[in-house]
Amino acid sequence: MTNLNAVDPAAVAQDAHLEGADVVIGKNTIIFRRFMRNRTAVAGLAIFLALTLFSFIGGYFTPWDKETIDPFNIGMPPSAEHYLGTSQAGIDLYAMTVEGTRISILIGLIVGLVSVLVAAVYGCTMAYFGGKVDKVMLFILEALIMMPALLVVAVATSGGGEGLKRDLPSWLLLIIVLLVFSWMGTARLIRSLSMSLMQRDFVKAAQYMGIPARRIVWRHLVPNIGSLLVLDITRGVTGAILAEVAFSFIGIGIKVPDVSLGVLIGGATSQVQTFPWMFWVPLAVMFLLTGSLAMMNDGLRDAFDPSSSSSGSATKRKALKTRVKRNAS
Amino acid sequence: MSSEITTGAGHTQPDVERLHVAGLHAPSDAVLSVRDLNVRFNTENGVVHAVRGVDFDLLPGKTLGIVGESGSGKSVTSLAIMGLLPSTAEVSGSVMLKGRELLGLSDRAMCEYRGNELAMVFQDPLSSLTPVYTVGAQILEALTIHNPTMSRQAKEARAVELLAMVGIPSPKERLKAFPHEFSGGMRQRVMIAIAIANNPRVLIADEPTTALDVTIQAQVLEVLHTAQEETGAAVVMITHDLGVVAGMADDIMVMYAGKPVETGAVDDIYYNPRMPYTMGLLGAVPRVDVAEKSSLVPIEGMPPNLIHAPTGCSFAPRCPLASDACLAGEPALAPVPGSALHRAACIKSGSLGGDVDVHDVFAAPPVPVSRFDAVPREKRSTVLQLKDVRKHFPLTRGALLKRRIGTVKAVDGLSFDIREGECFSIVGESGSGKTTTLLEIMEFHKDQDGEVLIGGISNKQANDSRTKSAMRRELQMVFQDPTGALDPRFTVYEVLAEPLQNAGMDRQAIKARIMELMKLVGLQPDHVNRFPNQFSGGQRQRIGIARALAVNPKLVVLDEPVSALDVSVQAGVINLLDKLRAELGLSYLLVAHDLSVVRHISNRVAVMYLGKIVEIGEVDRVFDNPRHPYTRALLSAIPVPDPELERTRERIILQGDLPSPLDAPKGCNFATRCPVFAALPPLKQEKCLTLEPPLEPVAPSAAAQALAAHPLPAPDQRFACFFPDGEIDEDMLVVHEQADHHAP
Repeated sequence: MTNLNAVDPAAVAQDAHLEGADVVIGKNTIIFRRFMRNRTAVAGLAIFLALTLFSFIGGYFTPWDKETIDPFNIGMPPSAEHYLGTSQAGIDLYAMTVEGTRISILIGLIVGLVSVLVAAVYGCTMAYFGGKVDKVMLFILEALIMMPALLVVAVATSGGGEGLKRDLPSWLLLIIVLLVFSWMGTARLIRSLSMSLMQRDFVKAAQYMGIPARRIVWRHLVPNIGSLLVLDITRGVTGAILAEVAFSFIGIGIKVPDVSLGVLIGGATSQVQTFPWMFWVPLAVMFLLTGSLAMMNDGLRDAFDPSSSSSGSATKRKALKTRVKRNAS
Repeated sequence: MSSEITTGAGHTQPDVERLHVAGLHAPSDAVLSVRDLNVRFNTENGVVHAVRGVDFDLLPGKTLGIVGESGSGKSVTSLAIMGLLPSTAEVSGSVMLKGRELLGLSDRAMCEYRGNELAMVFQDPLSSLTPVYTVGAQILEALTIHNPTMSRQAKEARAVELLAMVGIPSPKERLKAFPHEFSGGMRQRVMIAIAIANNPRVLIADEPTTALDVTIQAQVLEVLHTAQEETGAAVVMITHDLGVVAGMADDIMVMYAGKPVETGAVDDIYYNPRMPYTMGLLGAVPRVDVAEKSSLVPIEGMPPNLIHAPTGCSFAPRCPLASDACLAGEPALAPVPGSALHRAACIKSGSLGGDVDVHDVFAAPPVPVSRFDAVPREKRSTVLQLKDVRKHFPLTRGALLKRRIGTVKAVDGLSFDIREGECFSIVGESGSGKTTTLLEIMEFHKDQDGEVLIGGISNKQANDSRTKSAMRRELQMVFQDPTGALDPRFTVYEVLAEPLQNAGMDRQAIKARIMELMKLVGLQPDHVNRFPNQFSGGQRQRIGIARALAVNPKLVVLDEPVSALDVSVQAGVINLLDKLRAELGLSYLLVAHDLSVVRHISNRVAVMYLGKIVEIGEVDRVFDNPRHPYTRALLSAIPVPDPELERTRERIILQGDLPSPLDAPKGCNFATRCPVFAALPPLKQEKCLTLEPPLEPVAPSAAAQALAAHPLPAPDQRFACFFPDGEIDEDMLVVHEQADHHAP
């Protein structure tokens, strides 16, 4: 049994080879590199981060807040005192935009993240157990899809639910309602993806080792659909922001005194002619927000896609190298 | 190849041949001539130089075999010739088809040649036909594009003719069939029909039979042979299987690291290899026709990284003969002394004559001996026993009211046992029920039909989870695809820790055990923090084996453990499995379609056909003296890496595919394809069709019986056939020698 502990020379040679060259690049490094190579996506990320930063510290740059009325400047265009002008009621638009952006981003991030997480666990569980469990869970899912989200939002935020409205700020209520109605599509996608993962040998291997089902779902299935989850989070964030804007625009989402981009845009539609800044500024911020996310999503998709040609062509890379050399000499 | 060249070197060769090899002939002789072909790809790591200077000339009607490991640039070469590489690849050099340059042509201009004078057969027949068009439409498409003036009747007549040529029964009706109505082998025939539709001058076959069963592989190779005869096309045959090309090719080009390292006539390469890599490849293949037990030759290490230009011989890091001289500059392809046709890229090619034994060169490990080998089989304890296990699937039809229209008998009354320290193999075509048998054993459920006993625990008692987990500790599995079997998000440590944690071990013990396991399977213990994608295929399979061994099982189920690996790596894994069996006293249940691997590693073997065992017994008895016609056909279908033998060998080509379970015969399952049955007189045929042959032991021969003083014990071989000694139908016998004079 002596040679039991001998390391196989074949394996050693292979290891030496692997160590010698920079052959092995972590998957995350590759994804990061590919993402960084996409200029549009990087710009999108920068804009999104800048907006987030702005929404949190922007308030410190002005003495005004979203509630104080300036009786001397009512409905004034942008000036040195009020950077973006004031509303019909004399409230500083800059302060309101900062506040609105924060609420919108908050709603987007929370709804995007949590709904994808719920969808992941729900979808994986469905796929893993299959059979009856799958059928019942799928029925619930289909039923939720059938439910008219618009009506529920309207009822929850304005009509009924007086007690709820008293205890919760309107933006939190909206988050909950949006969450309930936003995860189903993703869950169905994840279910089908997990079903194909279930056919992979490593899941079978775990089953044959006697690993409990709960552990298999959490440790083998969820991490392996990670790239899809990341994509779905950015998509979900965009979707949630747009939904908030839409609901608030028609008056059933966020309620005054809470401010959001949707409330600002909705409130200013009738005054586009008289107070144009009140309409265009929040609209521009909303476009920046959703646009930057869309740009990011595009880059992420390319980075995760193993078949994408984002590493460029051999001729181009070589030409680049020679040019660099020529410049250096 | 014309016969005068195959008889060996040292006689006069036609001038054309000599010039062809020296590269000095007029290019118009060769139908396809490739010069200094280079292909570069860009990757995350840098520019990969995938093909580095490939030269060859292909004469009309000849077959060139390109062999090499995966990543050696075989397929890239073929795609470059076809102009099918992505536009991101940089291709340079020259590819001349009948004197016209193909490189640099636009995609539109290439379409003139592709499918017309230059055709290709791809590896995967399942995905190379469009599922929504009929087979006929796809053949007509190939004809229409290159013959726009042809009338519809003429095209249809030609399509029928083509299908008949590739051996598809009732071709006229089958024209209207969709690809999913064909089996894999049939689809590959259709692919060949499409490829030869316009009488191509050059036919490139990229691993045309790798995805197929051995019996189907034999059929398809036969079809390729006929296709070449009919069209007179030159064939480029790309494969990793040295057996497949041995009987078919005239010339061989061995590729390594994007470069040809040895070229020559097929006999020179097989009988007189002059490059250590070729020698290693030949030594790494187990032989189905040789009983002698010797370790296989593993070629250590991995092919070089083609991002960096090799400074010395690219094979030097893996070569046991490498010296300092090998590192000084890459050797060019130079003629081997004594044979102008044969060229090798090795500075030592002169000293590597025909009598050098590859086992000495590569220092193959000694054959491991198990402590159980000395104990007679009856005295060893049983680790697994199957008693009359059945798995039937109902076949239903109808959307609303499901009617049962038949039963698929995936496994039908299987009984066998495995003793300690023994390797038992199940072989058979796909669809014969091998995998279902494994799944039945792994499922281990009390509602199963039949009894499975694992280490004395019966599935009938498997009520609680404790019995089940006790059973899981006795039995573990190694999967076919090492990449798929390891969670890509787990480090090796996590992979190996999972079964141990589940067994309730504490952290310290787990750590110690993992280190032990890594050493056991020949991996460096300090690599436990790496991810599976940082290992090569062979190493990943070693990790899979380590995981299976983690809980110290008695029996390991191996589902095609080496079929996804390269030949050279495969040899290392087989040697490891052999060693572990001997040292740890393991038993294996192996399922494999590669009979040569089975012969090399197993002690006993069972041949399955349509859910039943048709022959079972000691491996050497079954393989040397097969009694059942199906076993005989299987064995004769395996290509052997020996050109001489391959050309003269009788081969039984079974007709058609496995019968659909719906019209499975009542009597002997095999009757529909049986070569013996076809030659039997009708009276005896009746018996095959009505009675089911039982599994009966082989009687010792009368002569041996008479010589022995005591009655001999029955040998360990049983089979299920009424007429094992029957004549074989002549239509199904193919001997290649006559067919080989097609070359001009």
